[in-house]
Amino acid sequence: MSQLHLSDEILMAFADGELDEPVATAVARAMAEDPGVARRILDFQQSRRLTRSAFSSALAADVPPELHAAVLARIEAYEGKGNRAPAAGPRSVVAERSRWGYPSTAIALAASVAAVSLGLGYFAGRQMDTEVSGVIAQLENPDIRAGLSRVGSGQELQVAAGRMRVISTYRVADGSLCREFRLHAASGTAEAVACRRQDWIVTFALAKAAGDAGYVPSSGDDPMAAYLQGIGAGEPLVDGAEAEALAETSS
Amino acid sequence: MPAAIGQELVALLPRLRRFALVLCRSQTLADDLVQGACERALARADSWAPGSRFDAWMLRILHNHWIDHLRRTRAEGMTEDVTTQTQLIGDAGEDPIFSRLVLSKVQKAIDALPQEQREVLVLVCGEDLSYREAAEILNVPVGTVMSRLARARKRLVEMTAAA
Repeated sequence: MSQLHLSDEILMAFADGELDEPVATAVARAMAEDPGVARRILDFQQSRRLTRSAFSSALAADVPPELHAAVLARIEAYEGKGNRAPAAGPRSVVAERSRWGYPSTAIALAASVAAVSLGLGYFAGRQMDTEVSGVIAQLENPDIRAGLSRVGSGQELQVAAGRMRVISTYRVADGSLCREFRLHAASGTAEAVACRRQDWIVTFALAKAAGDAGYVPSSGDDPMAAYLQGIGAGEPLVDGAEAEALAETSS
Repeated sequence: MPAAIGQELVALLPRLRRFALVLCRSQTLADDLVQGACERALARADSWAPGSRFDAWMLRILHNHWIDHLRRTRAEGMTEDVTTQTQLIGDAGEDPIFSRLVLSKVQKAIDALPQEQREVLVLVCGEDLSYREAAEILNVPVGTVMSRLARARKRLVEMTAAA
């Protein structure tokens, strides 16, 4: 067992990639053992994404022309005409953004959270009951994996456990092909992501019991969206690009 | 001859203004603050070490300028046009995954945070600075940055989940 006191500050620093190695490993272990810890870390990741989005939207607001002109005048006064003329408008700060987004540690973290969600019945901050864990257990059934290899996005397929629907396909940051899909079974519904290594491996899953309307897929700030963003899923592959990716031999 | 910082300064204006809005919550005052900080920076451009982060250096000047302003006016922080600030949410975001509605909820939650938490939040989560860089800008210990930041983010999650 971990001897570490898992304060909010420690978990936040872990989520932010600010922890040094020995402690980071201890936190990762604690996270794998305790879904509550994983939830707290996921919340810190989420709050960072939300804040960043809110602030980068605010950034789109224009600098008032008066302020811009006033600053240009001061620059002119200090640096003179001899120097390079200041840009007429805000320059891109691309280099500044190089640390932006999620470093590989955060991707590993997202994967760990997913592993927790599968292994310990953690999902979306809710205690999982047996019915829901039943749906999760069926996500890697052979007929579902076969379906993932051939069915296009938007199509449904009857499988032993119920009906599956492939939602979208992504080429993620590490080059893997991943697919988001949904399984409607008698016991409940799961929305999951599977990535192709040798075979399809479920890397993330959210589930709800039959009749539970609590979890609404595809809303703007749901954990699925956060997970897809975390693994670097960009635009979904469609039509020809999707078919081509599926046709590649995986091994 | 100090390094010419004019070009970088202009590029940084939107972010400086954003931080200034977080600090003083008044557009008029924010613009004054940014202009004053630019003036200061130009006057002491030789104290910036080329190669180090220009944005962190500049944000620190802005923050110091704000502290000086507070000392002069003995104000606690102005709230005259918080509503105009929330209108700053634009259409273009880096993370289109979050809807406008969610972002406006987040913005309201951020606005409702105590000042000291809000400034740490914008530096670390908005500007992507490290805890240490934020601590240097705000002139507080790293531990203080962490505790304020953790409180702010827990509160943010609570507030955005509840609505």
